Amino acid sequence: MTRPKPTLGLGWMVCVLGMGWGLNTSLWADQPVDFQKDVAPIFQKHCLSCHSAEKKKGDLSLATPEDLLEGGYVVPGDVESSALLELIVVPPGKPRPEMPKSGKPLSEKQIQLIRRWIAQGAHWPKGLVLKPLRGDENWWAYQPLWEGEPPQVPQAPPQWRKNPIDRFIYARLAQAGLKPNPPADRRTWIRRVTYDLTGLPPTPEEVQAFLNDDSPDAYEKVVDRLLASPAYGEQWGRHWLDVVRFGESNGFERNVIINNLWPYRDYVIRSFNQDKPFNRFILEQLAGDVLEPYNPEVAVGTAFLVCGPYDNVGNQDPVQAAIIRANTLDEIIRATAEAFLGITMGCARCHEHKFDPIEQDDYYAWYATFAGVFHGDREIASPQQRRLRQEKLRPLLAKKQKLQQQRNQLIARVLKRAEQKLSSFQATWTREPVSRYGTEERFPPVEARFVRLRVFALDTNPDARTGFRIDEFEVWTSGPQSRNVAQLALGAKAQGASRTAEDFADAYSADRAIDGDFGTRWIAAGPELVITLPQKVRIERIVFSSDRQRQLPPTHGYTAFVGEYVIEVSLDGKSWSVVADSRLRKPLNDRLRRKRLLEAEITPEERSQLDQLSAQLAQVESEIRAVPPFPRWWVGRMRPAPGPFHIFQRGDPQKKGPAVVPKSISVLERTVGAYRLDPKAPEAERRLALARWIASDRNALTLRVLANRVWHYHFGRGIVSTPSDFGMMGTRPTHPKLLDFLARYLRDHGWRLKPLHRLIVLSQTYRQSSAFRPEAAKKDANTTLLWRYPPRRLTAEQVRDTMLAVAGVLDRRMGGPGFRLYRYLQDNVATYEPLDRPGPETYRRSVYHQNARAARVDVLSDFDCPDPAFAAPRRAQTTSPLQALTMMNHQFVLDMAQAMASRLRREAGPEPKAQVRRAFWLLFAREPEPEELEQATQLVRQFGLTALCRAMFNANEMIYLD
Amino acid sequence: MKRPLHPAQACFQQVLSRRQWLDCMFTGLVGVGLLDLLAREVPAVEWVPGQGMPHFPARAKRVLQIFCPGGVSHVDLWDYKPELERRAGEPLPGEENFVSFQGKNGALMAPPWPFVKAGQCGKPISSMLPHLAKHVDDIAFIHSMTSKSNTHGPACVFMNTGQTSEGFPSAGAWVSYALGSENRNLPTYVAIPDIRGEPPNGKANWSAGFLPAKHQGIVMAAHRPIRNLATPESISIEEEQATRRFLNFLNRRHLQQREGNTELQARIAAYELAARMQLSAPEVSNLAAEPASIHRLYGTEDPNKLKAAYARNCLLARRLLERGVRYVTLYCASRASGVDGLLNWDAHKTLKPDYERHCPILDQPTAALLTDLKQRGLLDETVVIWTTEFGRMPTHQQGTKGRDHNPDGFTCWMMGAGVKGGVSYGATDEFGRRAVEKPTTVWDFYATLLYLLGLDHTRVTYYYNGLDRRLTDVHGHIIHELLA
Repeated sequence: MTRPKPTLGLGWMVCVLGMGWGLNTSLWADQPVDFQKDVAPIFQKHCLSCHSAEKKKGDLSLATPEDLLEGGYVVPGDVESSALLELIVVPPGKPRPEMPKSGKPLSEKQIQLIRRWIAQGAHWPKGLVLKPLRGDENWWAYQPLWEGEPPQVPQAPPQWRKNPIDRFIYARLAQAGLKPNPPADRRTWIRRVTYDLTGLPPTPEEVQAFLNDDSPDAYEKVVDRLLASPAYGEQWGRHWLDVVRFGESNGFERNVIINNLWPYRDYVIRSFNQDKPFNRFILEQLAGDVLEPYNPEVAVGTAFLVCGPYDNVGNQDPVQAAIIRANTLDEIIRATAEAFLGITMGCARCHEHKFDPIEQDDYYAWYATFAGVFHGDREIASPQQRRLRQEKLRPLLAKKQKLQQQRNQLIARVLKRAEQKLSSFQATWTREPVSRYGTEERFPPVEARFVRLRVFALDTNPDARTGFRIDEFEVWTSGPQSRNVAQLALGAKAQGASRTAEDFADAYSADRAIDGDFGTRWIAAGPELVITLPQKVRIERIVFSSDRQRQLPPTHGYTAFVGEYVIEVSLDGKSWSVVADSRLRKPLNDRLRRKRLLEAEITPEERSQLDQLSAQLAQVESEIRAVPPFPRWWVGRMRPAPGPFHIFQRGDPQKKGPAVVPKSISVLERTVGAYRLDPKAPEAERRLALARWIASDRNALTLRVLANRVWHYHFGRGIVSTPSDFGMMGTRPTHPKLLDFLARYLRDHGWRLKPLHRLIVLSQTYRQSSAFRPEAAKKDANTTLLWRYPPRRLTAEQVRDTMLAVAGVLDRRMGGPGFRLYRYLQDNVATYEPLDRPGPETYRRSVYHQNARAARVDVLSDFDCPDPAFAAPRRAQTTSPLQALTMMNHQFVLDMAQAMASRLRREAGPEPKAQVRRAFWLLFAREPEPEELEQATQLVRQFGLTALCRAMFNANEMIYLD
Repeated sequence: MKRPLHPAQACFQQVLSRRQWLDCMFTGLVGVGLLDLLAREVPAVEWVPGQGMPHFPARAKRVLQIFCPGGVSHVDLWDYKPELERRAGEPLPGEENFVSFQGKNGALMAPPWPFVKAGQCGKPISSMLPHLAKHVDDIAFIHSMTSKSNTHGPACVFMNTGQTSEGFPSAGAWVSYALGSENRNLPTYVAIPDIRGEPPNGKANWSAGFLPAKHQGIVMAAHRPIRNLATPESISIEEEQATRRFLNFLNRRHLQQREGNTELQARIAAYELAARMQLSAPEVSNLAAEPASIHRLYGTEDPNKLKAAYARNCLLARRLLERGVRYVTLYCASRASGVDGLLNWDAHKTLKPDYERHCPILDQPTAALLTDLKQRGLLDETVVIWTTEFGRMPTHQQGTKGRDHNPDGFTCWMMGAGVKGGVSYGATDEFGRRAVEKPTTVWDFYATLLYLLGLDHTRVTYYYNGLDRRLTDVHGHIIHELLA
């Protein structure tokens, strides 16, 4: 949502006014200007962040009048001579005034005020020193909770006098001269509350049961049923995942998928379903590993710290590496401060927070707190568990070691024998060793249609047969005017397994070995290359290489090459004859030499012994793998990271400022209490202390932020509409006392959310109809005062889950590794290609989607499921033509329409009218009206049920909640 | 509705200079209640984002951004350094043991190809880019670009969003947000990825970040239509029409019962726009409609498949701009692969063969696109920017014949509407190692771009999480020397 900023009419318009100065100042001179009320705030907001008493940029401070007067910026009584005006007015032909340097220029109204102030003598109250406009400890959000009683509303209808929420809301409406809407009908309410608490539509049977339930606690029964449903945790857990920027790939360039972060998602869902006290939930997420290091259920919480994006490319430049590390910690600091405290802490990284009373000192105290947190996974197991596992492994490891010894001894024995007759072997090695820069074979001319290279060793590893590269493999004809016939351009073909890059299939394929380009290489993934020549031809020479242009040293990994090989030719591709091999070449290096000797000297008995040992080794290795490992989850790796820690001046890790210690945020200490740790305090203690401070009963800010989030998700807008920013740049609460009441309610109910949900959804405020009243909208267009229930669009997950649910194919299995709506391609870096046709294995609730960063996946992305590059404390609710294209054309929607059609046939029989009725109940929770029934039936008769379902999936009524 | 202006106000709105203002005064208009008018507040024309409304007169309407991912070597292509040739093989003075992104650096390495003087201005350009060299008289080179990061991911998003972290809106999204659409049937912002794949950081490069999702770059290319654009084959035209009729019927009824809900109306309108896009997008992608001479100019039939694919994307870019797409980003090359420099300009180890592969792909098609824009007069309304994430070291990487990343000095360029041609702004040192004259940031670059579009970069803001965010963060100076 954009917050319309009061944009000031500017540009050259102001210059026009500027030039009017000389005309007459007396017109406004008679209205006295109050410096403190009218002018000081302009200076504070627009000038003092640079021109303060401390900073004095350009040697000018606007904190006191001295500099202004001395520098001739202000000449009391003489507007035209005052240089200040020239600076703040847009000069002709320029896009903006000289001052302020950044941010919005002053409005003409503000400029007029300054002008009048000067004309009237530039009065500055004696001794008044201006400070930059910035919150301080008196800021509303930092106060202890208000502990008063809900207002009395005698004028309200009786049902609005019971629930304290209603009393707050009614009183505020009355103040604005507004009245609430009447209650929504039951059908609307159950649809609303079911989506709200579970993210799914109510079934027709649930709706019917509620409509027919005339017991006095019918509403309560529905709410209790929904809160007890496991779907509640899936819905509200998803909200929390938004807040904590949960994403299952590391982002940035590599963006590699993370396959063991899902336990945190399950933990979040479980915590909501158990109604785990939120203060405990906070402790676990910041320091679960400290509380119960060996209990995976608790230790998993710290995944919170490391589920954000981070750059893992690695950097040899130490200055850049330090910046990257600082960025990584900054991400953790911001996520924590925003999620729990609604403080935009990141703004205090380079300098004190411009708007909120957060000092650099506070920021770096948190830097110290999290300095030991690193992204990565960790095995979660106690020493006892590890010992037991080690005991199981010990005999296997011993056996493995023994087998390895035996094998090495056998090899040594053979080699020793061989070394004794080395000279006789050497005498046969008469040819030059293989070379990456060009390896040539000449042989008597032979007819060939096919040429095959078989590789038995690499020059980098005698035991590997693949992974080598070939830039060109040339096959030369015999006779005069010899030419290379192994060329794509001539129609030759190359076959051979290769490394693959799915988004660019040709990148490393065997074709690269015959494309005439020494700059590209075949990267082999198998030991053979087969070249099919355009036709049968006499050949006599082959040249191949991995670095013909000699770009890299001969041991560089980029140009790994063939070590031992055989080259064969064939006329039919079936029977092959050898034309060349590497046997008589000198071995390129010692490892290849030893391999050569071993092969030559080993006896058949020794060979079979060796094979046997290898087989036994493979067996024991598989037994070792079979011993179950401990959970290895993405919960972060904590390292000691001892202090001392320092402020980084201007955020630059190379510029260390004063030392800091892990401590509480100063401005909150009056309300919450303070802590200050020794600079040498262990890493675990630092995080635990912060966690306890955040989750303290006295931390009114934590409670307010949490209560506001709950309210935000119930009404689509928080009492503070910027749920992760309770500072000056955020919005003020519309109902500050109600917010404090809700915060207290949470605290007094042991930080459990379910009692609060119950209070809210059973209120009259929540039960109101969403009907629009023009006269009320005139007073409160955005429904901020809640004179109606604010209608809203379903979330992306709800849109998708609804289609699955009404189609009758929703797979309700909870937990475990997520499903993917994209194809994951990795070739050094990762690419995510959305699936054209997701299969039934993806028919689970959307919360179980493995949400990778920067992966767009049709329905979910189009309907604003956030890319977790950042936290999304408040989702966008956009409308775009892409949504229409996806919902009309994507195969998933068609598949759902078909599945729903068969469900309708199954449940409503063959009669179109009955089918239409059932469809309306499933999707809209209501009976179709006669005209709707008529039109819908006609569509069904003409084009079938699937057409009807497809249309209804696209209907506004499906994706909007009244 | 526009309110009729008082003649004096109308005069204000037209005044562009003091001189004109005085003229205006003396035509007598000012006499009528002028002082009164001044004393009252002149109703400011509020700038509203997304309405095609600039802050001040715009010099350009549209942007074509060409992005060469991987970090294009400025010293080999654009930024001629005779000292580098002369002193090749010697250590880089003062930085003999410098460790950069991939490690240690060796001695100075000369460009593998000569530079040749081009155009009237005589600008030396690499002989590897003979076609682009023909445009130098229209180009404003910035040789003193700097980046905050030496790593592809952060640097690539930095070049595109002004921030090194992901999640911020790209320049195209900001422009879409600030100015809105110029056409009724096509997206406002289109990203055209290379046939070799996505650039480093993939979709983050055309993300709308925290801006509303409608500002994200829509992906299309000659080899890849807009996703979900086509009506499924299984659905006949009659069925599609009947379905839409019924849908419309449902939505209209639903709307009638919910007056005042503009979102519902917007959603109905979005379906109409989608339907128009279904007609327009295939039309714009239909390159067969172009004459053979144009295909030859771009090289769409070139035997080099990669070049031909990029040439087709160039042609698509022109067709999009022609039809009023506000911002087009055209990628030439893609991501990091198993081999540095294979799929993009990241020539760490084997610069010569790498660039002998990449330059011919870039050169002729891009030059053709510029020629074509010019000959159609589109360059009068379109500003073209050429960008990459950083430059490369003047030295070779130890043990290789490639160059490591260099964020301390590199080249980007601009041309077209409002841009002075044949100029070179700023400079690196004698080897191209660091920007020493008029160092320029990405923020300056975009402050200038927004200025050309009639936008004050400090006023294109959007509140997100604690701050009014900007493409230029809290920085940015317009580079007036580049303006025509």
